[in-house]
Order: sequence, then structure tokens, then C-alpha cells
Amino acid sequence: MDGANMNAQVGITNPAIIGADVCHLNLHKTFGIPHGGGGPGIGPIGVAKHLVPYLPGHPVIKSSGEKAITAVAAAPWGSASVLTITHAYIKMLGAEGLTDVTKIAILNANYLASTLKPYFGILYTGTNGRVGHEMIIECRNFKAEADITEADIAKRLMDYGFHAPTLSFPVHGTLMVEPTESESLQELNRFVEAMTSIYKEIQEIKDGKADKEDNVLKNAPHTATHVCGDDWPHAYARSKAAYPLKWIEDNKFWPASARVDDAYGDRNLMCSCAPIDEYRKSLYKFDELSE
Amino acid sequence: MATEKFIYRHNGPRDEEISFILDKIGISSIEELINQTVPSSIRLKEPLKISSALTERQYYRRIHDIAAKNKVFETYIGMGYYDTITPAVILRNILENPSWYTSYTPYQAEISQGRLGALLNFQTMVTDLTAMELANASLLDEATAAAEAMIMMFNLRSRADAKAGKNVLFVDENIFPQTFEVIKTRSEPLNIEVQTGNFKECQLDENTFGCIIQYPAADGSIEDYKELVECAHEKGSLVAVAADLMSLALLIPPGEWDADIVFGSSQRFGVPMGYGGPHAAFFATREKYKRTIPGRIIGITKDRQDNLALRMALQTREQHIKRERATSNICTAQALLATMAGMYAVYHGADGIKRIALNIHGIAGTLAEELKKLGYTISIENFFDTLKIILPDGVSRFEIEQQALAAGINFRYISEKEVGISIDETTHLQNINDIINIFANANNKTVQEITEINVKIYFDKKFKRNSEYLKLDVFKKYRSETEMMRYIKMLERKDISLTHSMIPLGSCTMKLNSSTSMLPLSWIEFGGIHPFVPVDQAAGYHELFKELNEDLSEITGFADISLQPNSGAAGEYAGLMVIREFHKENGEGDRNIVLIPSSAHGTNPASGVMAGMKVVVVDCDENGNINVDDLRKKAEEHKEMLSSFMVTYPSTHGVFEESIMEM
Repeated sequence: MDGANMNAQVGITNPAIIGADVCHLNLHKTFGIPHGGGGPGIGPIGVAKHLVPYLPGHPVIKSSGEKAITAVAAAPWGSASVLTITHAYIKMLGAEGLTDVTKIAILNANYLASTLKPYFGILYTGTNGRVGHEMIIECRNFKAEADITEADIAKRLMDYGFHAPTLSFPVHGTLMVEPTESESLQELNRFVEAMTSIYKEIQEIKDGKADKEDNVLKNAPHTATHVCGDDWPHAYARSKAAYPLKWIEDNKFWPASARVDDAYGDRNLMCSCAPIDEYRKSLYKFDELSE
Repeated sequence: MATEKFIYRHNGPRDEEISFILDKIGISSIEELINQTVPSSIRLKEPLKISSALTERQYYRRIHDIAAKNKVFETYIGMGYYDTITPAVILRNILENPSWYTSYTPYQAEISQGRLGALLNFQTMVTDLTAMELANASLLDEATAAAEAMIMMFNLRSRADAKAGKNVLFVDENIFPQTFEVIKTRSEPLNIEVQTGNFKECQLDENTFGCIIQYPAADGSIEDYKELVECAHEKGSLVAVAADLMSLALLIPPGEWDADIVFGSSQRFGVPMGYGGPHAAFFATREKYKRTIPGRIIGITKDRQDNLALRMALQTREQHIKRERATSNICTAQALLATMAGMYAVYHGADGIKRIALNIHGIAGTLAEELKKLGYTISIENFFDTLKIILPDGVSRFEIEQQALAAGINFRYISEKEVGISIDETTHLQNINDIINIFANANNKTVQEITEINVKIYFDKKFKRNSEYLKLDVFKKYRSETEMMRYIKMLERKDISLTHSMIPLGSCTMKLNSSTSMLPLSWIEFGGIHPFVPVDQAAGYHELFKELNEDLSEITGFADISLQPNSGAAGEYAGLMVIREFHKENGEGDRNIVLIPSSAHGTNPASGVMAGMKVVVVDCDENGNINVDDLRKKAEEHKEMLSSFMVTYPSTHGVFEESIMEM
């Protein structure tokens, strides 16, 4: 079993019951190790009895039996130091807490599903109409109605101060949302409000009230330099670009870049700081003074 | 609910909020929701057998006790892991800072410019020090980076060479044992033949697609590989070099003697040893191989306002797009650790790095001179930081070991007559005197205290680096702690992390990473332990592993756990390799088909391919569930060769499929 979604199983079911012989565990998801901006990720494996003799060994520190497969990583116990985080997570939650966590993860997901449902289709549900710990939100209809893609929604969410849900996985043209148990009702509601507001912005395009090209979604995210700039060529107000909801004023996050052009960078591959250095020099006069 | 309970802090909704939510979704209790969501046939019958919860305070005391059982010795084992000084400004503002550690992989570039900038520094540092043209934003560790180098060279074979079965990889015998073993592990399912021996005597032929050598080599020697590289290139083979990043501050970098790939660990750039990890491996290559370089690359592009912006480049190569044709299952890098290593270079700059490298080398050289005076033979003349000491007659390794242990010192015991010592950034004058005393005692000599390190170049001048590195502004501007603190903050402010708002990424589970659980990471009792110390010095770690093993076994319902795989994808791969070994042991080693549903995460088929398996895709129905009829059909069709079925549960569509038991 791929244990990527183990967080929806802990204390409620387990891979062995389901019939799996092997399962890897993403300790950086289910068991509290942070993502670190793209790693470390830790993936221990659990195995049923008949597979125990084959668990990986190590050439320097003998940690397993004769039938062990050879090492899969440089260190005998992998990324040992961060295992302390998972240890803390389990010991501080205990049996009951671990199970509660799973339940609240499923509860929060179902709350989001039910509150978003009037605006966004929920792609897959179980036989009882419920979702597990995450859900897939349909966005393909917006493409047909208003030429808005899931990527436009993702970028617009940044203007509201949110990181986008997962794009186009596992189904193209969708967003996958997982709130986790750690989010409170007020935070879930903020997200729902942002999503609902974006839904309305899409409707404005659909209804012809907003331009099909020059609209808050296509131009998202809006940077501070752009919104404060002397040149504002858009039909909509600056405040609509940057502060579409009142509470954003409390804790505005300004995206550092406007929408990036992936294709340009791939055609002109630059992967060191040198071009930035050049660029900065053209911006700051004092660099000339120092040279 | 009592406020001291951790669950009260970990979960978001308060009790009254839970009632509100239940009401809103039209259900009477959480229990009922779970009944509706999770098929009853697979529910646990009993509660987990895991000890009841400790409060945060209780846990803090408990982990403190566990930490005290780890013994922090002065360790000179080397072998790819070196003690290092994490600049406190980096420790406090990055490793201990949730704005850095709770953020996600920077797929959404516009709100990730800070860490993208930090990773670009890492890449620039690597290309500068290796003198290569292009570096990625880190890999898991040096050994898996070696395996990735092997696979990259294998994939770079011409169509004709591939057809002709060119499949030999030459690995020099003077390479770290863990690197060699992971190369072996990864080569075997791909039918790559690994040949090993002394590079000076090796006979490369038209069947050799690649060579892997280490610089400086495992025993510490700096070798001249120019001839080998020329010979390899003549024979149509590529050369990958495992290099010590710190040594490249003084040595002619592999990029200047035509290496095709340079990889290694950046651990000693300010990342604690941590009993083995995590650390960031680096990987650099030539511009012309940019389409085949493994892992993530940060690149510069422009945004819609025509400003420079960073983002992950060439993402079309990533496994989640390629699926069955995947050649790598790498998903995760070591971003946080790469960020730290890059910041170490930013903080020290070229001058600082060179001074640190020179000091390490100077201490090693001074020690070598002193040990020679005491009757020991230093068998390798050209060294950077590692000495191989031959014991004279009458001196036993056992005696040295006993004395060292008593003094709280670990050496590397290569054989009965050979001891290895690797010097690192933290080694100082007193340490040298302690070491010399042990060796003097063992050979019944008296010794005068050393009062000065003789810092100079001890190796042959022909290896000395003349080219400059870290010349860009970013490596010059942030020398004072105030400037450094502000630079880190400037980057931090460009990124959205959990410190700002929820990150609702499906399949990524961006839950709380609690402060209490992060605290021990900064402790020397966990950070300062070398992975190859005698196990009794890591008793705290082993107590923790044992408990973790028991609890994770209970949670999964399995018999045992391996903590070795250091990424999710590495775990998938390890799991498949274990299954493969099981079939082999049962005389069914030819079973090589893995069934994977079309809804699977892209790493699944990639891991299958890496484990030498053929991937057969199982369809999903219109509701996103796995088509059980198709599964049955394909399992039947391939029953002779069927190795395994790989499934995600609940599915990647977020549903607990009812048919899971049947599958």
C-alpha cells in the first residue's frame, strides 16, 4: 500500500486489515514532520511478518539479518534526527488522540465539502455521499463558462492570502483540498469565504460584468508594486485587486511576483544567482559606488 | 477538555465548533460520520495499544531524559559525516523558524520567492565550488545521489549503445561503503553490471557507460583522475565524481578536469550530523545534460510585469507527468537543509569558506607531522582532512580504541593496523593535543603540548585550486549577524507558510508541526551524533527507535518497521524491493509485474520501474474508484508474473473504497 493517505486511517483502520503486506509511511505528512519547503520527507516502511527478514540492511552498521536487502539510503536509520518529531507526535497524542486526529480530519473535510458544494462540484464521494479526509473540487465547468482555469483560481487565492490547493491531481482541471484536523472553524470559514468570493468573480465574467481577458483572476496574483503603481490599466478597482474581502486588511500577504512565465524560463535556462546580481546592479545606484 | 492536553492544541475546532460543524453537515455525531465514511468491514475492533498521551511538559522532560542517554563524543570517523558549526543566526532564523520549516514545495512560485531564492543560492554555491555549469536544488543523500548519477549516465547512452547492451558501471574501490552499497542496490533491478577495482588499473571498454570515483577518496587520498577521465571519454563513457564540498575550496574542482557529474553531501556546511540525517546532497552536471539531471532545479524567469522571478524549472521532466516512462521516482528534495547549507555559504562567503577549509587541512597536516614524530606512518601524503595512520609494531588498535573511548573520542578503525582520523570545522588545538596524547601513550612516548596549528598546504601543489568561487554579491553582502538576520527575514517575508494561513493542499496533509516536537532538533545530544558511532553511544536514539517501531507497528498492524528510507518515494521503492526479494527467496524471482491503478500518485509507477518491474495500469470507473473487474482481469492475465499490487488508501480521490478487501 502507498501510505500517502495513512492520516485518514490511524486509529480507525490499518493497512494490515485491508490486506496489505507492505506500506510506506510519510512521516512528513501523517506524523507531524514539517515539509521544510520541499524536504526532508521521511518514508519508513512497515511490513507483514513474512517480509520482516528482508528489511534493508547497512554495510557499516549491521542493523538487520542475513536475508536483508542491501541499503536503500546512506545512513542506517535514515533521517534519524527528525524521527524525534514523530516520536513526540505519537507520545503526546496517545491512542485516543491519534484516533481523534483522524476523525477531525475527516470532519473538517466534510465541512469544507458541504460548504463549498453550492458553488463547486465535488468530484467523488463515498456511497454515503461523504468524502474522506480530502476532496476534489470541479473546475472544468468554469473553463467553458468563463475561460477560467484551476490555475487562475489558484493564483487568485494568493491575493486572498492563501496557498492554492493541489492542482490537477489526480484529475486534470480540478483542485484537491485537504484542510487537516489542525484548522479551526474560523480558518475554514475564511477559506470558504475566499473560495465563494472567487466563485462570484467568475460569475461576473460569465455574466459579462467583467472582461474576459482583463479580470481579477487572469491578472492574479497582484503584487504591491503593480497595485500601487502609477499605471493602472485595468477596468476593475485597485481595492478589488488587493483587498476583495474586508478581513484581508488585517493580515495582507503581498505576492512577491506577478504570475511567472514558466515557458520563458525553460527556453532560457538560468540556474544561478548571476543574472540576479546583474539585475540588482541595474536597480541600485549604490552598487556602483561600492565598486 | 483540559488545556494541558496536546490534542487540545493540535486539533483546530473547539468542542462547540465541532457541534456546529456536525449540525451544518447534517449528522448527529462524529462516530456516525465515520460510520458513513469508512466501510465497517475494515474498522479496527479495538483501540490502539499505545500509551496514553503525555502533556507537552511531560514529553519535554521525557525527551530530555532520552537525549541524555546519547553520548556526544569528539568524533573523527568521517566517511561522509563531519561535525560542523551551525551558525546560530541560521539555526534560530531558519531551522527553528516555522516560516521556513512549515512551507510546502515551491510549486506556487509567486508566493515562494523566498525559499526559491535560498535554493538558488545553494545551486550557485554548488556550481561555483564544483566548477560545473548546472546544479539541482538537492537530493536525499550522497549514496542515493550516486545511484542517480549512475541512472543518469545509463539513460544518456546513445540508442545504439543501449541496443548493444552497454551496461557496465565502473566504481572505484576507494569509495565510501554506503555509497557503493546503494549503487549496488539500485543497479541490480536495472540490469546494470557494477565492476569495481582500482581506477589506476581498470580496463574500460566499450561496454562501460559510466565511472564513479570519489574525490578525495574514501581513505582520504587526493588522486589525479585526469587520465581516467580522458580514457573514459575516449571509450564513450561518462564520469561522475563524489566530492567533498569543503575540500573543493582548496582542491582543483572536478569541473576543471572534465567530470560530467559531481555529487556529494553538503552536510558539513552547517547541518548537524543528526545520527545520519537529514542532510542535502548536491548534484551538478554540464549544461548539455540539463534535460536528464535528476531532482528539482530552480531557475530564473520573468513574471507578467517583466520582473525577474524564480520558479522550479523544467518541471515537465518531473515524474508526476511522465508516469510509466519515468526514469526517476524522486519527489522530495532536502529543501530545508539545502537552504541551510546555502545560507552557510552566504554567511561565510568565499573568504570564510576558504579559511575554514584551510584550518581543517592545517589541523590535519599538523596532526600528521606530530604522529610521524611519534613513530606512526601516515600512508597517504596527499590528503585534505583525513589521515590514514598505520600503527607501528607493538601498538594495537585495541589499545588506541580503549584509550580513545575513555577520553570520549571516536576514531575510524579501518583494520587491526590502520586507524582513520577525519578533521572537521569544530576541531581545535585542545582536541589535537588529546589525540596526540592517546597515540603517544599507546607507543610509550612522551609528547610536548602543541601550541600552534601550522596552517599551510600539505598536499602536492598540482592539486591546488587557483580559480575563484562565490564571487557574486549575495556571498559578499551579509557578513554581520544583523545583516544576515535581515537577509533571512527579507526572503522569509516573500513566502506563504502555515504561519500565515491554512495550506489546503490535497494529498499533502499540511497539519500542525508542533513547537514542542521541534525543540529537540536543536539539541547537541541529537544533532551531534555521527551515524557510525558505536551503538551504545546512541542509546537514546535507539530507545526512541524502539518505541517508534512498536507504535508504528501497532498503528499499521504490521510486524516490523524499517526507518531507513529517507523519503516517501524511497519508502515505496524499498517496499517493492522487499517484495522482490521475498519472491526471489521463494524461487519466483522472475515475478516482475506490478499492478497500479490509474488514479495512483506518479511516484508509484516510477518506483515500480526503479525496482525493475513492469507496470500494468488498472482502470478506474467513472466514480474514480478502482475497477475491480479490470483488476481481476489483469491479475488473472499476469498471474504467472505478478509480483505485487500497489494501492493508495483511502484513494487519491479522497474516498474509502468499499471494495478494498476484495482487491
